[in-house]
Amino acid sequence: MKRNTPLITLLTGAALGVILLIASMLATPSKAPTSYSAPATPAPPSTAVAQLSPESPTPTATSPASAVVTAPARADYAGEVQGGGASVAISIHDGQAIAYVCNGSVIEAWYKGTAVGGVLIMTGKNHAHLSAIYDFSKATGDILAHGTDYRFSVSVVHKPSGLYQAIAVVRGATIKAGWIVLADGTQVGSLEADADAAAPSATRAPALDVAAGTAREGSTVLVAKPVSGVTGSGF
Amino acid sequence: MTVQPGTSAPLPQDRAASGAAKLVVPSLIGALVALTLGIYGRLHNPTGIAINIAGFSSPGSVKSWLATGATVFAIVQVGSALVLYGKVPRVAAPSWIGGLHRWSGRIAFLLAVPVAIHCLYALGFQDYSTRVLAHSLLGCAFFGAFTVKMLILPKRGLPNWLLPVLGAVVFIVLTAVWFTSAYWFFSTFGIKR
Repeated sequence: MKRNTPLITLLTGAALGVILLIASMLATPSKAPTSYSAPATPAPPSTAVAQLSPESPTPTATSPASAVVTAPARADYAGEVQGGGASVAISIHDGQAIAYVCNGSVIEAWYKGTAVGGVLIMTGKNHAHLSAIYDFSKATGDILAHGTDYRFSVSVVHKPSGLYQAIAVVRGATIKAGWIVLADGTQVGSLEADADAAAPSATRAPALDVAAGTAREGSTVLVAKPVSGVTGSGF
Repeated sequence: MTVQPGTSAPLPQDRAASGAAKLVVPSLIGALVALTLGIYGRLHNPTGIAINIAGFSSPGSVKSWLATGATVFAIVQVGSALVLYGKVPRVAAPSWIGGLHRWSGRIAFLLAVPVAIHCLYALGFQDYSTRVLAHSLLGCAFFGAFTVKMLILPKRGLPNWLLPVLGAVVFIVLTAVWFTSAYWFFSTFGIKR
């Protein structure tokens, strides 16, 4: 080769990388958790530098290029899945996440996972999994429970809406119940009669008295605890 | 190699040794590239933000489409390499096949760069699931392997099998990177813009 064209290719790619890296750093507002200091007023480039979250805590009127924010570190989401066949609740607390899906009878699953950089990856028993992207207003993704696939886009919720969990040991078996209280106050809940099983089966949970935090299953009183990323309860 | 008057021709083992020596520096540079990307991804706090391109539904989809484009060009790479080496029966290598191979490679690489920068900057080197760990490791390995391939291409006196093997490694690693990311994205969120 007369000119070392492979080297030119390599250096072109490296230069492109450096340019994009600097553009990314310039687009990061200074209060974002980055170890590099960025200028406080990023200039809007011609390709719209956009954010994962369409709304930010300090909305600027029309500029789409500024007010780029990260996903929240602590948040609770709840809502119905697309099609309305079930409800899902997700709680995020400093990188950890707990979620629950349930249709008020047999389809339900608990998930644990991590929430990093706006991306949520969670797994549960019996091949259950949840993948989503989340921001300051909603969480959007895909959930698999009991062989059933749902897509969802659910909004942030605040107390007393959200996820509740009760665990009790009755006659040697661990009972685990979960309730999702939606933003409009309606609740849906399921109960695993043998939560330690590899693939626990579930039935409808008794109604949860949200104010008292209790539910009655036969002669057993279940004491429900909120699972909330915002308060850290349940983590 | 031309033999200077007064010296004797290099012995076969000297030739093999000097052949291997030519690989040391490129391999070290490739390893350094891979390590640098991984260490940067690990130490840098992921910001979660994206550079979005108008017309796509999300940063994840931009990256998935760009990555898929890079992988398609990588497949063209493999095909053109096979024709170049005369491995495809009844297909003679046309004069433009070398150009196709080089340019498809350049396009694949340049499509991969913005995806990698975004990934490292917004998401970082992660290990919270097997898929994500494999993606992080393979992503760094791809750029290291590609660097080695570019650095050894102009060198003479290397065994004939080296370049095809290195090309195959680059291709396999890129495909695995695509599989642990864009494929997952499209199968989770649907194939959409």
